Amino acid sequence: MASNKNHSSLSRNCNGITRRNCLQFGLTAAIGAGFTDLLKLRSDAGEKAAHLPVKAKSCILIWLDGGPTHYETFDPKPNAPTEIRGEFFPIATKVPGVQFSEHMTKLAEMADKISIVRSIRHNQGNHGAGNHYMMTGAPPRIPVGCGAFVSFHPSLGAVAAHDRGHQNGLPAYFSIPSMSRSGGPNFLGAKYAPFVVPDNPNSSSFRVRDVALPRGLKDDRFANRKDLRTIVDQLPRFENKASADPARSLDENYTQSYDLISSPAAQKAFDISSEEDAVRDRYGRTSFGQRALLGRRLVEAGVPFITLYEGGWDHHSDLFKTCKKRLPEVDNTVATLIQDLEERGLLDETLVVMLGEFGRTPKINERGGRDHWANAMSVLMAGAGIPGGTIVGATDRQGYSAVDRVLSPENFASTIYRKLGIDPNQLLYTPQGRPAHLVSDPTPITELMG
Amino acid sequence: MMRFLLSVCLFLAFLLPNVSGSFALGEDGSNPVPPSIDFQRDIQPVLTRFGCNSGPCHGKQRGQNGFQLSLLGFDSDFDHNALTKQSRGRRISLTRPTASLLLSKPSGKSPHGGGVRLPVDSPGYKLLLDWINAGAPRSVPNTPELEKITVAPNEKTFGHGEQQQLKVTASYSDGSTRDVTGLTVFQSNETPISAVDEDGLVTAGQITGEAAIMARYAGNFSIFTASVPLPGETGQPASIAGDHPVDQLVSKTLVRLGLDSSEVAPDHKFLRRVYIDIIGRIPTLEEAQKFLDSDDSNKRGVLVDQLLANPEYAEHWANKWADLLRPNPYHVGIKATRNYDEWIREAFRKNQPYDEFVRELITAKGSTFRNGNATFFRNRRKPDELTTIVSQLFLGIRLECAKCHHHPFEVYGQKDFYSFAAYFAKVGRKGTGISAPISGSEEFIYNKNSGSVRHPLTNEVLSPKPIFGEAPEIPEGADPRDSLAAWMTSPDNHYFAQTMVNRIWTDLMKIGLVNPVDDLRATNPASNPELLKHLGDEFVSNKFDIKKLIRHIVLSKTYSLSSIPTDRNAVDNRYFSRHYRQRLRAEVLLDSVIQITQVPETFSAMAPNSRAKELWTHRIGSLFLDAYGRPDPNQDPPCERVSDPTVVQTLHLMNSENLFKKVTSDKGWAAELAKSDIAPAEIVKKMYLAIYSRYPNDKELDIGVNLYENEESDRRLISEDLMWALMNTPEFVFKD
Repeated sequence: MASNKNHSSLSRNCNGITRRNCLQFGLTAAIGAGFTDLLKLRSDAGEKAAHLPVKAKSCILIWLDGGPTHYETFDPKPNAPTEIRGEFFPIATKVPGVQFSEHMTKLAEMADKISIVRSIRHNQGNHGAGNHYMMTGAPPRIPVGCGAFVSFHPSLGAVAAHDRGHQNGLPAYFSIPSMSRSGGPNFLGAKYAPFVVPDNPNSSSFRVRDVALPRGLKDDRFANRKDLRTIVDQLPRFENKASADPARSLDENYTQSYDLISSPAAQKAFDISSEEDAVRDRYGRTSFGQRALLGRRLVEAGVPFITLYEGGWDHHSDLFKTCKKRLPEVDNTVATLIQDLEERGLLDETLVVMLGEFGRTPKINERGGRDHWANAMSVLMAGAGIPGGTIVGATDRQGYSAVDRVLSPENFASTIYRKLGIDPNQLLYTPQGRPAHLVSDPTPITELMG
Repeated sequence: MMRFLLSVCLFLAFLLPNVSGSFALGEDGSNPVPPSIDFQRDIQPVLTRFGCNSGPCHGKQRGQNGFQLSLLGFDSDFDHNALTKQSRGRRISLTRPTASLLLSKPSGKSPHGGGVRLPVDSPGYKLLLDWINAGAPRSVPNTPELEKITVAPNEKTFGHGEQQQLKVTASYSDGSTRDVTGLTVFQSNETPISAVDEDGLVTAGQITGEAAIMARYAGNFSIFTASVPLPGETGQPASIAGDHPVDQLVSKTLVRLGLDSSEVAPDHKFLRRVYIDIIGRIPTLEEAQKFLDSDDSNKRGVLVDQLLANPEYAEHWANKWADLLRPNPYHVGIKATRNYDEWIREAFRKNQPYDEFVRELITAKGSTFRNGNATFFRNRRKPDELTTIVSQLFLGIRLECAKCHHHPFEVYGQKDFYSFAAYFAKVGRKGTGISAPISGSEEFIYNKNSGSVRHPLTNEVLSPKPIFGEAPEIPEGADPRDSLAAWMTSPDNHYFAQTMVNRIWTDLMKIGLVNPVDDLRATNPASNPELLKHLGDEFVSNKFDIKKLIRHIVLSKTYSLSSIPTDRNAVDNRYFSRHYRQRLRAEVLLDSVIQITQVPETFSAMAPNSRAKELWTHRIGSLFLDAYGRPDPNQDPPCERVSDPTVVQTLHLMNSENLFKKVTSDKGWAAELAKSDIAPAEIVKKMYLAIYSRYPNDKELDIGVNLYENEESDRRLISEDLMWALMNTPEFVFKD
């Protein structure tokens, strides 16, 4: 529970996600969910889900962890009382009558290419729970606290990976530079966990650790070793999937690892230094900027789902000071990403989404911050046939609550799935054979479906 | 009487159901005088049942749209006040009851963020209306108090898909009872095994196992246990027959669930398991050979005793405890962290009884530069922080919730939390406190004889009180922590012993009897409660001797079972009908790699040739340990360890520069074997013994020898590649 008393420990928990790629954390017993009979699952899914027209080949999900403020980004309330409207002023955008907050200048100039959904609301005011709801389209089953890292349902990225499979040896789901909370595969199995690239592409020595062969190991010797490994590996595997044999997850990991190591597409995508300086400068010479550029390179390599995780949006205090610094960077990088994708003819087949787990409280608190607020939030969507210039829904005059076209995280998740050609109404099966609807309400946001 | 009760029941549907004994009745039995409605007894359950006071709604701190209720209705005075006094009386209008916001909002007559919860024609709505008509009283004089609730039945064995309706009865102080099923909140801890709907109808799933279904009404709990056995016939689990109590108790559960036990594992599996579990590494080539070649019929018991006496035992088990206690040196300073680590290790070196270990920690005094345990109180500085960590670590009781509100799945409230915290009110600190960024100074912990803890709401000064039972009196001038430690570590405190045995069981068997390992409560029961009790009692009767407890468990047949499932136990992942494969812990794996390659790891801030299990802080850099999921030192408390295999780990084991260098080093074992004149067959045997702890079978031997005898082969490269290949298989990476 959020409270003033434990603010400092709260924000530490709230932003502190392990730098490693924790595969699966859960409050429920995760026993048995570690491995899935993948072929069975795929064929089940295939039987039941008619494939939908694919608009988006890829999705880049920009996750501003902590819950970015809707007031200071895309939903300014200039007519609200001072203690609500805050320090920033609204600015006009390319779309007549639509205003953004003052630091979103570049996105305002391209407002005719993007859409903002202002009316998603839900009921999960803790980070752990809000992350889960927005990242999976399913509410957490039991109360979940702020510091928690939970998984009850597969995430958007894991489902995309499950649907597409990996291509060109590249993992189908990247999370950069760390996994987002609830961004895991849950019952789909470790194969669909995100591949995490913790290394900083803004560093001159950037290379994706352990994907390149160690210096001194030649390709043909590596191939011999690979064969030898298969021969000496004699440990029996348990066929019954209910036995949850972890050795089978290990097998999946070796398969994925070999694919990745031997993939020319992967090596090319990771070689960010081959990008022209001017392009790198445009994205911004920050780790976030260069990660977005890496994201675009992965889209070019055919990766279906990329999460760009950017922490530190839990502004319980000093919101305006921090936003003055960070919003222009985000505005520049995201605007550049969308523009660059368009210039390369990729925007029509790439869905770009930016959000966090919830919005922030109307009243500015005594520490100059805003607290958690799940009754209103703003979500940016662009590309993949999203009609530019569309503002979906509205909050009330003071930004308390979504009031017009009230939408749920289920509608949000269904929109992403439909864009990717994945049927949100399909049934998936857990390793125990329990059916689970991908999204309980499979209705997408119709205004965005084009 | 019964007929009348039935009519009341129908009249109020499920909401104000059977009332016996305490209310006046109408003369003809059909037109009852409305029973007097008590806020706490009658109204609160409605607010709870329909989610009004739940965390996402008005129960959250600061409420919803200015209207706040206590979470799950644990503070009736607060809630009554919020309804009747605040908001200028708009929430309840005694003059026009139906205009009360309490009715118009949840019935959908006024806009309500939470949607329609109580339609106008619902019994709940009617009850609220009756209560307002009666003047919305806080309490009715002489209202009997709720003493307990009971769910009936309280256990049942189900076939797949079978159903059972639960009935919940509340008992009051005047001896009266009520059926409160309709106002009870139900929750299953294992929905796939047995699900429960909101009306208390239980449906068994398709999965074999046992589920606990919690019924919660007005802060009281009752548990229904659903057993869903595997269909079909099975005999006694033969491989664990015998007189070891662990085997007998495991057997009992298996029989109840229709599960079979796997075969007993061969010697080499047992050998590898006990080395990994007791001293934190695989056996060396010589150690493996000696055990496998021995004809001693009691060789398993002898080996276990040798390992328990091995100095590496202490480093391995201290490393596990360091996970739980270890502070961030950037927070408390390097010297304090180092001393603390040494104190923990010393306790395991001398096999200090666990109760004594905990008493010394809880009552630590003196300099953080001299007494390592004093660092505990440098790291955790406030009574509330100490309360949370002490109760969770040593008692398996998670009090964190009760810090801010009543615990939703437990009987503990804020008063319990802060009364417990009062034991730490007088912890004094002298010297230099936490001073970022290095905090390198010395600090002294002492009993300062003053200081108190207040209830955050009532501001009442609370005297120290344990969360259950009775603690020794605190003599004038004495350190309250002495009394606390005596109460905590008492042989009568089952939570204390059982929390520790559950930790050790989890370390040895992969899955706890209770999961999560430190969450012991009635609403989260053990998968085998009798076994947990037995182990706890055994631990107490052996004077909290950790080595004896480990010995007791690893010499059971249950521990020695094969991981290979039978037709009748493949579905089991928590009742111990077979051994569960487990990826080696980061430090175990790295130390084993060092042992095999014979190339030591260079750790900063450690002596040469140190092992990973000897590291005194997770701050000591190691990409290997990071990849294999050691806790993140930046998190407070540190994130749990990652125990699943991941692609990152696989890539690291295959491709990291560091491991490549170890395997190919001129000073390494592969080079040494290649240079020697040992025949290929012997080299292959040695490799298998050193890496898999077993001899190769004929086929494996053939394959290995062929590698060497190929004309173009280079002994050195073959040795390196074989070593690499064996280490990159599940037989090496898992404890099987």
